[in-house]
Amino acid sequence: MNRHLLTAVLLSGLVVLLVVATEALGVRVFDRIATNLCVSLVLVIGLQIFMGNSGILSFAHIGFMGVGAYVSALLTIPAQMKGMALPDLYPILQGIQVSPYLAIALAGVAAAVVAAVMSYPLMRLSDAAAVITSFALLVVLHTVMTNWSNVTNGPRTLFGVPKATDLLLAAGVAVAAIVGAVAFKESRTGLLLRASRDDEVAAAALGAHIPHLRWRAFIVAAFFAGVGGALWGHFVTSFSPNAFYLHQTFVILGMLVIGGANTVTGAVVGAFLVTGAFESLRSVEARLNDLKLFNDQVVGLTEIVLALAMIAVLILRPGGLFPSREIGAVLARAFANKKKGAA
Amino acid sequence: MLEVKDLEVRYGAIRAVRGVSMKAEAGQLVALLGANGAGKSSTLMCVAGALRAAAGSIRLMGEDVTSARPEAMVRKGVATVTETRDVFPDLTVSENLLLGSYVHRHDRAGVAADRERMLQLFPRLGERAGQAAGTLSGGEQQMLVIARAMMTRPKLLLLDEPSLGLAPAIVDQIFEMIRVLKSSGLTIVLVEQNVSKALQLADTAYVMRLGRIAAAGTAAEIAATTDLGALYLGG
Amino acid sequence: MTFALQFLIDVLSLGGAYALMALGLVIVYGILRLVNFAYGELIMVTGYALFLAGGTGLPWLVMAAMAILVAVATGILTEYVAFRPVRAKSVTAVLITSFAFSTLLQNAALLFISPRPRNVPLPPIFSQTVEIAGVVTPMRNLLTIAAAAILLAVFAFLMRRTVLGVAMRAAASNFTMARMLGVPANLVITSAFAISGLLAGVVGILWIGRIGTVVPGIGMEPLLVAFIATVIGGMRSLSGAVLGGFLLAFIDTTLNYTLAQDLLKFRDAFTFGLVILILLWRPQGLLKGPATGQRT
Repeated sequence: MNRHLLTAVLLSGLVVLLVVATEALGVRVFDRIATNLCVSLVLVIGLQIFMGNSGILSFAHIGFMGVGAYVSALLTIPAQMKGMALPDLYPILQGIQVSPYLAIALAGVAAAVVAAVMSYPLMRLSDAAAVITSFALLVVLHTVMTNWSNVTNGPRTLFGVPKATDLLLAAGVAVAAIVGAVAFKESRTGLLLRASRDDEVAAAALGAHIPHLRWRAFIVAAFFAGVGGALWGHFVTSFSPNAFYLHQTFVILGMLVIGGANTVTGAVVGAFLVTGAFESLRSVEARLNDLKLFNDQVVGLTEIVLALAMIAVLILRPGGLFPSREIGAVLARAFANKKKGAA
Repeated sequence: MLEVKDLEVRYGAIRAVRGVSMKAEAGQLVALLGANGAGKSSTLMCVAGALRAAAGSIRLMGEDVTSARPEAMVRKGVATVTETRDVFPDLTVSENLLLGSYVHRHDRAGVAADRERMLQLFPRLGERAGQAAGTLSGGEQQMLVIARAMMTRPKLLLLDEPSLGLAPAIVDQIFEMIRVLKSSGLTIVLVEQNVSKALQLADTAYVMRLGRIAAAGTAAEIAATTDLGALYLGG
Repeated sequence: MTFALQFLIDVLSLGGAYALMALGLVIVYGILRLVNFAYGELIMVTGYALFLAGGTGLPWLVMAAMAILVAVATGILTEYVAFRPVRAKSVTAVLITSFAFSTLLQNAALLFISPRPRNVPLPPIFSQTVEIAGVVTPMRNLLTIAAAAILLAVFAFLMRRTVLGVAMRAAASNFTMARMLGVPANLVITSAFAISGLLAGVVGILWIGRIGTVVPGIGMEPLLVAFIATVIGGMRSLSGAVLGGFLLAFIDTTLNYTLAQDLLKFRDAFTFGLVILILLWRPQGLLKGPATGQRT
């Protein structure tokens, strides 16, 4: 079997395994955790598509997650609810109501369009200028979400988003994201972009227009961010702009860095590991709070552990757990070696 | 003084220097010649500590300095003048010179004497002491970086293309100063495109091609036996 | 006339604070070309140190000095935790470690102190007002102007007249060349982080003095301000950062006086939109930084 196909099949298999195990256990808490994990997968893989191939750190990703969440909410909140949830909504938008599944897809498209329009000129920047502009983009998106009360209900929580995301849907999208990311990585655009990551001059000499390649990756990444945001919105059914800011950026970035930003395998493994660790630590925090050992609530422990893990990984294994080779390639090589050993 | 053995320098997958061995005896001027991209500057920067050696060894007066950092090399008596003529453009000429004496900053009288000596050797710098170094002409900047390197009180001076892009009259001046420095007993490794001028001053010479030493010998031997024109065409 | 004076005092006091914030960020950026995302947390740490010192009953100036020392120590700690171990690896790695360290410090404040605002001890002078030529202004604004003027003057003196200062300016313009003259890399970098901490500490006290309380997220706004001012000021130029700080204060104050309330909410979007435009037009920042002399 082709090793890229093997990678996609193995990683998708991991998601299928998660669904089967969760359904078999039938515990509601696990169902929630598994669904969250699948949504995170979509977001992390989206970020991997840009960061992994271009080598540029992007802070804007979670901003596009917010765009997706709000677009999908606007398209699906029932007309009679809209009067309450969004009192200042523009009249034109009041009557619109589409199926959540269509809305989730449209949310991805909307995020991709916003990204395409805003980001093209940014793609020729590298280094610190690229990072600061992507950070600035996140702040701009956040400020707009927080203050454009007509469509977002401002800094307040937006209620009444119909519940549409279940484990199967989230898992299905996660599998699509995995296949998409592997395909993108091995596409002509992906290959040239990865060449540019290692050596900008040499890749340009091959005829690659690097800003244009980065732009394509950024749009694909924003599409998955938008879809991920919409999925999440239809899962939690109420949210505020603060959900799409630095904390979420930190979590998604942490997953990618720990797993390994250069590989899809790294993104998937990182999401599984960090979600697992997060949920365990959260339950420890909850247990501590139940015991009332301290005057205040115990908060922040989880983030501290994740931050320490990120720093440790970057010091000890800068490329993450899967720094360069996908799982398919690792196994193919191990298999080939074994054969050689036998012969 | 300096002994380089089987040195390799890599930039990613590209091997710029592939097993270079060379020697510089105390008081000698060693010329390192070759076409653009032959690996001369990479060799020099590796000796200076600014590039990491992928393999091989560098010994300075018998001591292994292969992995020493650039600031440590200065303390051991190696000064470097880079090809890019790196003055600090926003700092004044005086401040640039002052930085050259960073290692000796506690020896104030000695630093003042060094400075006096350099201003005698390069009177133009004295005239422009308070000016930002970025406003100097190319020739003056070259004088400044050489003077600044001398302020570190080197035993070994690494000079990378000191005549690059300068007018012929200035080039003559620069080579005259290199001769003066040499006659004071300083050991010099000189990377130069101006082959005839370099060989006039040099004791020994190495010719590099595609990252390797293609020829070595006394300056006279190299001048007599090597087809230098072909060398620079990359043949 | 009174309006002009009012406007001037507003711009100078805000600009003084902004300039110090920007300078603290750019001194590290200029030398290492790396953005310290944990910079805002130096201000947070100053606030909590002052809050914790509040129980000791020491004279206020001693408490303030202790708080600033804590900021300096945290600055140096940032270097050892987030920068030094990954410095040689990649630009992205350092950005992520400093971002992670920022989250770490914020959550440590959440966990060990409280998510709720904490009052910091302040001398009465912070809440007094004074009348100058018919303009009533809080004393703390004048205090900020004075502190900024003194600190900027001392800073300029150190950078011009001491060998370490000259070495730091040289390192900011061409780090490799400075090392090739014997300037020790580690000393210069650690000094830059210590100065960054010092500036953050002083500006932290003045900044927190405006509201009187500290929360874990207090460092966000100073970080954003420092970003914008730095970008306006040319990314690598120390004097540019100061100028950028005052320019941003001028823009902000003007917008405050002229923009309608419902548009004022979008001020951050405007200023950050401006940042993006400036970086597109000039990736090195608006004002010219030192010519690098380095081939890139």
